[in-house]
Amino acid sequence: MKRFIIIIIVAVVVIAVVLFFVLRPKKVVEVVVVPEIKVGLVTDVGKVDDKTFNQFAHEGMMRAAEEFGFEAKYIETLQPTDYDKNIQTFAEEGFDMIVTVGFMITDATYKMAGQYPDIKFAGVDQFYAEPLDNTMGLLFAEDQSGFVAGALAAMMSETGVIGIVCGMEIPPVIKFRKGYENGARYIDPGLKVLGVYIDSFVAPDRGKAAAEAMIADGADVIFGAGGPTGSGGIVAAMEKGVYGIGVDQDEYYTTMGGGPAPNLLTSAMKRVDNAVYSAIKAFAEDTFKGGHYMNNASNEGIGYAPFHDAADRVSKDVKARLDETLEKLADGSLETGVKL
Amino acid sequence: MQKDYYRIIIFSGLTLLLNLLIIRFSFNFPKEQAVSLMGFGTLGKLSMFTGRSIRILGCIGLIGSIIPFVKKFNRYVNLSFFTTAFTTVSAIILWAAVGSLFDIVGLLDLSLRLSTPIVLGAMAGMLCERTGVINIAIEGMMLTSACIGFTASLYLNNIWIGLFCAILSGGIIALLHAFLSITMITDQIVSGTVINILAVGLTGFIRRSFLLKARLTRTAILPIIEVPLLSKIPILGIIIFTNQPIVFLMMGLVVFISIMLFKTRWGLRTRSIGEHPEAADTVGINVFKMRYLNVILGGSIAGLAGAWFSLETTGSFDDMMTNGKGFIALAAMIFGKWHPVGAFTGGLIFGFFDALQIIFQIKNIPIPPQFLWMLPYVITMIVLAGVIGKSIPPAAIGVPYRKQ
Repeated sequence: MKRFIIIIIVAVVVIAVVLFFVLRPKKVVEVVVVPEIKVGLVTDVGKVDDKTFNQFAHEGMMRAAEEFGFEAKYIETLQPTDYDKNIQTFAEEGFDMIVTVGFMITDATYKMAGQYPDIKFAGVDQFYAEPLDNTMGLLFAEDQSGFVAGALAAMMSETGVIGIVCGMEIPPVIKFRKGYENGARYIDPGLKVLGVYIDSFVAPDRGKAAAEAMIADGADVIFGAGGPTGSGGIVAAMEKGVYGIGVDQDEYYTTMGGGPAPNLLTSAMKRVDNAVYSAIKAFAEDTFKGGHYMNNASNEGIGYAPFHDAADRVSKDVKARLDETLEKLADGSLETGVKL
Repeated sequence: MQKDYYRIIIFSGLTLLLNLLIIRFSFNFPKEQAVSLMGFGTLGKLSMFTGRSIRILGCIGLIGSIIPFVKKFNRYVNLSFFTTAFTTVSAIILWAAVGSLFDIVGLLDLSLRLSTPIVLGAMAGMLCERTGVINIAIEGMMLTSACIGFTASLYLNNIWIGLFCAILSGGIIALLHAFLSITMITDQIVSGTVINILAVGLTGFIRRSFLLKARLTRTAILPIIEVPLLSKIPILGIIIFTNQPIVFLMMGLVVFISIMLFKTRWGLRTRSIGEHPEAADTVGINVFKMRYLNVILGGSIAGLAGAWFSLETTGSFDDMMTNGKGFIALAAMIFGKWHPVGAFTGGLIFGFFDALQIIFQIKNIPIPPQFLWMLPYVITMIVLAGVIGKSIPPAAIGVPYRKQ
């Protein structure tokens, strides 16, 4: 009996704490109030200011909403089981377009798109085996992004050895790695590129160990391509005083916490903000088509982050050549040579 | 006796075959063309003819595998296992070292470092299980303490306080496990699972609510300490005496807990409770108190392992950053037969193959990294199957104690 009472008390306390956090007023921000057309954003687990794809998708949506006079709202997903529910909330409130963020939310998006054929859906990093008329998967040319990073690494390397710390061996990461290798060889065919796949995206300790082993082998630029695992590699580079290159977003603000980071050259970016903007723009201009939309150098879907603290160590020639490479990739005169 | 003989034939026969394969493999390297270069830190480099060296290794392995067949030495089945494990790994490394320098000291140093959280986790689990409380919550304890330790270090701006908080939070989570499984007599597996899930939610919540909003996202990491004089010893100086604090603590704890567990009264009581709590109670040992004490001690050690991730290695915290090491620690604990030195060996094997896998990828050796990553688990299964001495858990494990 005594035990039963204790369990009840513990349960009540836990429920009270949970309710306290759940029932806090929801932060749904209204920005532009033109009630005709409504665009909604469902984040992956996280927040719209968490410095990941969620934030960039939100920025892209706000830019488009402002430009085209849409009403824009977002829902922050608390846990993966809420994906369906959050999308449905927007759908039932009569939103015209729903943007979902992340590979994880693919199935929920596809399912909901089937249920609400009149609503347009755009999914960041999502590939649908059989795309519907109202779904647009926003994909990225990671190979081009890696290519630019590799070109920069090759130009900055003094030892002639550079390294890349990858996450799991899945298509986007493989594209980053092969692009990086080809980009480096585009600048210097004799360059040695060391590479490691780590079988997890959240193993910064092992990423760091891999980078340290590469640095011991002479690598003086480390490209960390694969979430926190890659960031572990960048941390190793910073500690050993060699160059590091981030991935996906500007890691100057995320991994390095806004600096100072004199050795972080740049980050090979996936411009999720531009991709979301383009998708909403297509909807606004009535050119929205079901299928997949490849974001690459030609539509500013990929690029590289500012040099920040490393700016004075990257010479004008290097920057010029880097921009030239990016332009050539954009106009199609240069191919990354990455085939999957 | 008959059964033992089959064991020898099957097991030593397999290792015999493997060593013959190694010798066959050695003929792939013509004498003058293939030279292996091994680096031994400050001692310099050693160059060897690959083919001949591998052949010698294969012969050593052959001898080791044949010995158990001799009637007089029947009980040395383990010998064939250990020599073959040694020759196989050495042969692979020699192969990898063909043409380019292979830094043995670097490999061992990396192995020791990567094995640290596994060894600590294994010892944490061992302390709990030696008193009869199953602890599969090591992963959750490690994750929580990695997060709390980092948060404390970030906000209080002192990494040593962070380390202390990590150890403390490991102990507190362990207290929860102890309360659920000893006082409330919950199923210990369920309690452990709940704590693992709780840790994921709790740390995710702390990260989103506090860490992402913090002005800084990184802190300094624990400094590298060089033991005076001892760090000047060639090879060992780099591998053992030049490390970060938690690696030192880990090695110290292995020795300390071995002595405590097998030479002191506390150790005897701990072990007796794990084997036969009723008997221990009869002679006046407070079973509940000892179980609480050991589970909390184990949790604190798991907390230290958690601090290895956030405070010693990366200086940041990411969701799920312990990445299953807590469960690998359990495998290492079983491999080590619930003994601190065994746990150390088991942890080292996992760390070694992880390091080897990384270095092989860098060297572009065409052995799939997944294969090397798999090997320690295969070895653990061989141990579990009782081939090299049976791994027997404490008798009272998983059984809650009720006072009559």
